[in-house]
Amino acid sequence: MFEKFSKQIWWKIATVILLVYTCTYGFWVKIPDLPILEESIRNLFFHVPMWFSMMLMMFLSLVYSLRYLASGNSRFDVIAANMAIIGLLMGGLGIVTGMVWAKVTWGAWWVFAEVKLNAAAAALLVYMAYFILRSSFEDPESKAKFSAVYSIFAFVMFMVLINVIPRITSSSLHPGNGGNPGFNSYDLDANLRTVFYPAVFGWMGISLWMSTQLIRIDMIKRRLNDID
Amino acid sequence: MNLNQVYHLIRKEAYLEWRNKSLLASMLIYVIGASFIVYYAFHGEIEFNVWSAIYWIIVLFSATNILGKSFEKEVKFQYYYIRSVVPPLEMIVSKLIYNALLIFLFEVVIFLEMTLFFGIEMENLWLFFLTLFLGGVGFSNLFTLFSTITSRTGNVVLLSVLGFPIILPLLLLILRLTGFSDVDMMADDRNLNIGVVAILDLITLVLSVVLFPYLWNE
Repeated sequence: MFEKFSKQIWWKIATVILLVYTCTYGFWVKIPDLPILEESIRNLFFHVPMWFSMMLMMFLSLVYSLRYLASGNSRFDVIAANMAIIGLLMGGLGIVTGMVWAKVTWGAWWVFAEVKLNAAAAALLVYMAYFILRSSFEDPESKAKFSAVYSIFAFVMFMVLINVIPRITSSSLHPGNGGNPGFNSYDLDANLRTVFYPAVFGWMGISLWMSTQLIRIDMIKRRLNDID
Repeated sequence: MNLNQVYHLIRKEAYLEWRNKSLLASMLIYVIGASFIVYYAFHGEIEFNVWSAIYWIIVLFSATNILGKSFEKEVKFQYYYIRSVVPPLEMIVSKLIYNALLIFLFEVVIFLEMTLFFGIEMENLWLFFLTLFLGGVGFSNLFTLFSTITSRTGNVVLLSVLGFPIILPLLLLILRLTGFSDVDMMADDRNLNIGVVAILDLITLVLSVVLFPYLWNE
C-alpha cells in the first residue's frame, strides 16, 4: 500500500501548490494586531506545521517498527528508519524556527521554563541515539530488531514527556499551557486559518515525499545487493 | 509464569554477585568517591534541591554502570545454554526484580553517604523512601532492557546514550517528588505525582516484558 502511495503523483502536486501558497500568501495575509507577537505570528505557518510533521513521521516510524516486529519483514525496517530521519530533520527545523520565535516573543533563544522546548530537544537526542544504535550493529537483522524495540520505547516516553509533564508541572509558555490562552484564540482569526491548515498539509506532504525518496533509494540499494 | 524458576534465577544472580565481589566493591567505592567529590566541590554546604538533583544524578550514573553489565554473562558465555533452559518471561522478570533490588540498595547507600556528608534532614522520610523505590523500579525497567541491546554491541557508552534521554520524563517526576519529601505540603499534587510515577513504572514494566522476547530469541 505504501509503495503504491509513494509512486502516486497527485499528492506531490498538492504539496507543491500548498507550500508555494504558504510561502507567498503566508507573508502577505492580513494578520490580527496582537501585542508582542506582531509580525512573528506568521511563524505559525512554519514552526507549528513542522512540529506536526515531526510527530507524524515519528508516529509512522513507530507504526512500521511495530509492523516489523510483528512480521519480521525487513522492508518495514527500512521504512521506519527513513521516516525517523525525516522526523529528525523536521524536529531540527521546528526547533530552529521555534528559537527564532522565542527570541522575539519571550526574549531569549532558549528558555528553561519552557517544558516543550526542552522536551523537543530531548526527543531529538532520543532519535539521534536511535541512529547511533543502528550504526553500531553489523548484522541487519539484529539492527532492525533492536532499533525497532528502542523506537517503541522512545515514542512512548516522548509522549509522556510532552503530554504529561507540562500538565503536571504547569510551566510551559506555549499557548494552551500553564494559564496561557490556547490556539483557538488565534485560530479564530479566519485569515490565519486560511494559511495555517494548508501549511500543515503542505509540510506534512513534503516530509512524506522526502521520506519516500529516501526509502526508494534504500529499496534500490537492496535490489542491487540482491536482498529482495 | 513459573515463580519458582524466577526465585532460583534471582538467587543464582545474587549468589554469583556475592561470590565475585569485585563489581559490588567497585560500585561501592564509586559512589563513595562520587559523593565525596560533590562534598568537596560544594564546600560541604548545599541546599536541598541541589542536593536532590546531585543525588539523582549520582544514582543515574551508578545505575548505568551497574546495569550495563547486567546481561554480559548471559550473552557472552552462556547464551545458548540459558536460552534453552529459561523462557524469556522468567528471564526478564528475574532480571528486573534483581536489578531493582540492586539499584534500591545502592540508592540507600548513596543516601546514607550524602546524609552523612551534608547532614540533610527531611520532613517526610517515608515519602523519600517510596520515591527511592519507585525510582529504582523505573530505572531497572528501562536500563535492564537497554542493557540487553547494548550487551550485543561492544559500545560501552551506548547504554548512557540510549538511556539518558529516555529516562528524562521519569527523572523529572522523581526529582519533583523528592522535593515534596522536604516540604510536606500540597497533598493532592503530591499524590498525583506519586500516581504518575507509578503509572510510568507500570508502562515501562509492561513494555520491557512484552518486548524482551523479541530481543532474546535472536
